[in-house]
Amino acid sequence: MRHFAVELEELNQALLEMGALVESSIHCSVQALVDRDERMARRVIEDERRINQMELDVDARVTRLLALNQPVARDLRLLIMALKINTDLERMGDLAVNVAERAISLSKVPPVKPLIDTPRMASLVEDMLHRSLDAFVKRDATLAAQVLPADDEVDSLRDKIYSELLEVMQLNPVVVPSAIHLMFVARNLERIADHTTNIAEDVIFLVRGVDVRHHATENKV
Amino acid sequence: MQSGAKIMRHFEQELEELKGKLLEMSALVEAAVQRSVAAVAQKDRSAADQVFRDEARINALEMEIDEFAINLLATQQPLAADLRLVVAALKINTDLERMGDLSVTIAERAISLLSEPVIKPMVDIRHMSALVESMVRKSLDAFVANDADMARSVLASDDAVDSLRTASYHELISYMEKDPQNIPQALDLIGITRSLERIADHSTNIAEDVLFLVKGIDVRHHAEARQ
Repeated sequence: MRHFAVELEELNQALLEMGALVESSIHCSVQALVDRDERMARRVIEDERRINQMELDVDARVTRLLALNQPVARDLRLLIMALKINTDLERMGDLAVNVAERAISLSKVPPVKPLIDTPRMASLVEDMLHRSLDAFVKRDATLAAQVLPADDEVDSLRDKIYSELLEVMQLNPVVVPSAIHLMFVARNLERIADHTTNIAEDVIFLVRGVDVRHHATENKV
Repeated sequence: MQSGAKIMRHFEQELEELKGKLLEMSALVEAAVQRSVAAVAQKDRSAADQVFRDEARINALEMEIDEFAINLLATQQPLAADLRLVVAALKINTDLERMGDLSVTIAERAISLLSEPVIKPMVDIRHMSALVESMVRKSLDAFVANDADMARSVLASDDAVDSLRTASYHELISYMEKDPQNIPQALDLIGITRSLERIADHSTNIAEDVLFLVKGIDVRHHAEARQ
């Protein structure tokens, strides 16, 4: 039993490590965009392989834990959440790579406009990711619920970026390709935020599920 | 002995039920993809409306399947191939739900395109969507039939989808550069091809899960043979 607890803790650590790498990829991809730094963007692209490997490792770990320990109730739900969070993190890594690729393309052409809202969006999203993983590790539904309102803020920043870029394009069609890259960057950041929302919702569901089960098993205990 | 056989039969039944639910979900998602594309290509508003209506059912089914799979894991504690199957079902469930969401995105863009005169014929979107629809169908058939060859054929199509998307992307950019009035509509069309490409990616995920599933079963058979 203690062994299982140790393995769960290791799983937590593996997910946190993966989360830290994904968080840094998001940060660096947008930093590379702002600083027109191709080398930094390339590093994000290289790190994707590590993230993919981590995803496979976490999946294998969870499948092994399911098979060997045959957990029930809370522990079972936890493992299923770990599988889902793993998928979300890997997708976020993919999206950061997409931002990095666009940063490389954009570093080769003149800048379209100063980037103020995009890094603001990125730091919001990084914060959401950080807090949703924190909520998962602490099994804290309140903390998880606090992640959700930020999603609206991310959405409205994206809308603002969109309409600005649309205007820029219509005034000057030469910048269309660059402006579309920037639109997709905003879109990708918004999707990263959606993935952090998935994680937060999973945590809330997890904790609520446990509550229900506690009531259900009260008589037996 | 007898109760063991009974438990086994019960478990088989539950696995079948899980597969049945996933099939129901995949039929809904496959139809949603088709309808969303029809809404764009044929300017069919009622097809788009049907996609919006079905989304609630798809979301409810996703939660139902998750719950069912989790309960199955808890009460039956499956091992090896059966465990892999339930885990794959959970992953496929997530992919299907996202594909449903993407169909909704396409249908929303179809609505905004309804009132506008078309800037270009939808030839490439039709090509792309035919390819994507066949990937969706094949990946789900591969899951149902445990068919690794069919799963592999899905992976091969993904590159074709990507190059179709790139071609249409460049074409749409040139439309925008030519006439800024085309920009809003071209952006919708770019968004649609992007959604189609992502649906293809989810089909690829499903095909990869099937390959893992089938390979896992092969490995297990070898281990049993050795014993």
